[in-house]
Amino acid sequence: MTPALIGFAILLALCFFGFRVGFATLIVGFVGFAMQRGWSPSLAMVAQQVTEDAQNYNLSVIPLFILMGVFIYRSNISADLYDAAYAALGRFKGGLALATVLACGGFSAVCGSTLATAATMSKVAMPQMKAYNYSDKLAAGTIAAGGTLGIMIPPSVPLVIYGIIAEQDIGLLFIAGILPGLLLVLLFLLAVAVMVRLDPDAAPEAAALDAARKRAAVRGTLPVLFLFVLVLGGIYGGIFTPTEASGIGATGAAVIAALRGHLRRWVEWRDCLVEAAMTTAKIFIVLFGAVVFTQFINLSGMPYDLLDAVDAWNLDGPQLVIFICLIALLMGMVFESIGIIVLLVPVFLPALYALDVDMIWFGIIVVLVTEIGLITPPIGMNVFVVKSVLPDVRLADIFRGVGFYIVALGLALIAVYSVPGIATFLPSIAR
Amino acid sequence: MSQAPRATQGAVRTILARAIATLETISCVVIFAMMVLTFVDVIGRYAFHKPIFGGTEIIAALLALTIFSGLGVINARDEHITVELFEGPFRRLLSPLVYEVAIQVFSVFAMTLLAVVLFEHALESYHQEKLTEVLEMPTYYVSGTVAVFAVISLLSQVTGVALKILDLASGRVRADL
Repeated sequence: MTPALIGFAILLALCFFGFRVGFATLIVGFVGFAMQRGWSPSLAMVAQQVTEDAQNYNLSVIPLFILMGVFIYRSNISADLYDAAYAALGRFKGGLALATVLACGGFSAVCGSTLATAATMSKVAMPQMKAYNYSDKLAAGTIAAGGTLGIMIPPSVPLVIYGIIAEQDIGLLFIAGILPGLLLVLLFLLAVAVMVRLDPDAAPEAAALDAARKRAAVRGTLPVLFLFVLVLGGIYGGIFTPTEASGIGATGAAVIAALRGHLRRWVEWRDCLVEAAMTTAKIFIVLFGAVVFTQFINLSGMPYDLLDAVDAWNLDGPQLVIFICLIALLMGMVFESIGIIVLLVPVFLPALYALDVDMIWFGIIVVLVTEIGLITPPIGMNVFVVKSVLPDVRLADIFRGVGFYIVALGLALIAVYSVPGIATFLPSIAR
Repeated sequence: MSQAPRATQGAVRTILARAIATLETISCVVIFAMMVLTFVDVIGRYAFHKPIFGGTEIIAALLALTIFSGLGVINARDEHITVELFEGPFRRLLSPLVYEVAIQVFSVFAMTLLAVVLFEHALESYHQEKLTEVLEMPTYYVSGTVAVFAVISLLSQVTGVALKILDLASGRVRADL
């Protein structure tokens, strides 16, 4: 296990120092493997791993869902989603913040990106909340936290990556994310209600939408709802594989954007397609690094040493999951979700399998933990995204504003941990 | 700086900008093709019981091309995922120039490794005359193209890095690529 621990220490040091995560992981994995097996086998291993992953048909789900999200982002549907959510929840105290949570959930269901959700909702929801003198803490905190819904509510790229690493059915993982995603939305709504109750001045009363705007908003959101049902329903009903669903989703999103008056010019198409391709390349370079690093870790015997340690400590499956969650929480303070999944999951796979842990349930737990990392200091990516879109809002206010949402995420984590059925019920029916 | 090196730098910047634009165009055509193929394959399969012959293999090849054409652009612009926790203190500790050189030399080394192994893999596919299972297409068509893109990615990275370091050394803010 010593080589692996040294490898991890070097990797963390390189990442903290500012070396590119994908390249650092690749080089540490390559050198570590070479130290144990020699340079030639290590070169062959890198070639094989990278080539296999780069041409893995099942991984084409990643660029296509990213593309779907980019098209939806470009279709400017967020304003309609926000209006529709406000039409539903506007009558309650803190209605604009409640609508923000609901709109974030709806937007992330078809966008799949936490950062895009946070950035979009900063532009759509913040002006409304500002206009009615909502406190920055409540408004910006709600947007930053609402954005995190994107990685739980399917389609979710982190769930795809987890599925590939843990060799789990991506369709089942998506289905497993539905109830925890809805639970999170409910808990976030509850968090708004508590915050508004504790500080009524944070959310003054806002005007109701007129009937015409309500109708327009509902009409505007119908295509997105249809697309979500088509993609998820197709996977759930066993009609499409996740890859096929991603192709349908991306094409459907392009049609929606075109019908809404976007994608009329080549340059708009180009912008969307390039953005999706660049994001894909960024993710895959981390994935390449991770698969190479995993080979080194496996060769070092660390996963099996951990298995022995788990045996020696008499840990059962749920206890091991708590242990992994604690590590993931610490990593979440520094790494983003994909980094945590690719570094952490392979190390514990043999122990998790040996203890008969339900890997679909575990995937949801891991994603929930990484979600917390998106809004906790020192590096809460979503908080920084909101700050970059809303430079007038103080960073400290956003971090203070997400406090109740971190509690809500913690409660969701406890709920899914204690009642695994929240994650496993729908997949068990689909199986 | 004298006029001649400045003119050379300007020319290199122009070439890099054009290379990036070309790679962007290639990546967007490839990812668009992947989307359309997947969609048509699904419709063909479920509506007409006639999926695209070898569709899976073509989509897998397009995925590789998307990744490596996109990689050229993010390499040139250095838009990789990083952990920005201690970057500021380290940058100040070492001086921005030394820090940047250390980071970028490491990235170039990693990319060189990728390009070399992919090239060797492509050569091996060529010599072994391997064919894909469905289309029976020589595998080196894809692995060779991927290797070429990896080399282009490396070249664009080296150029982008050199320009960035020159800008830092001369105290100029990095120009947009």
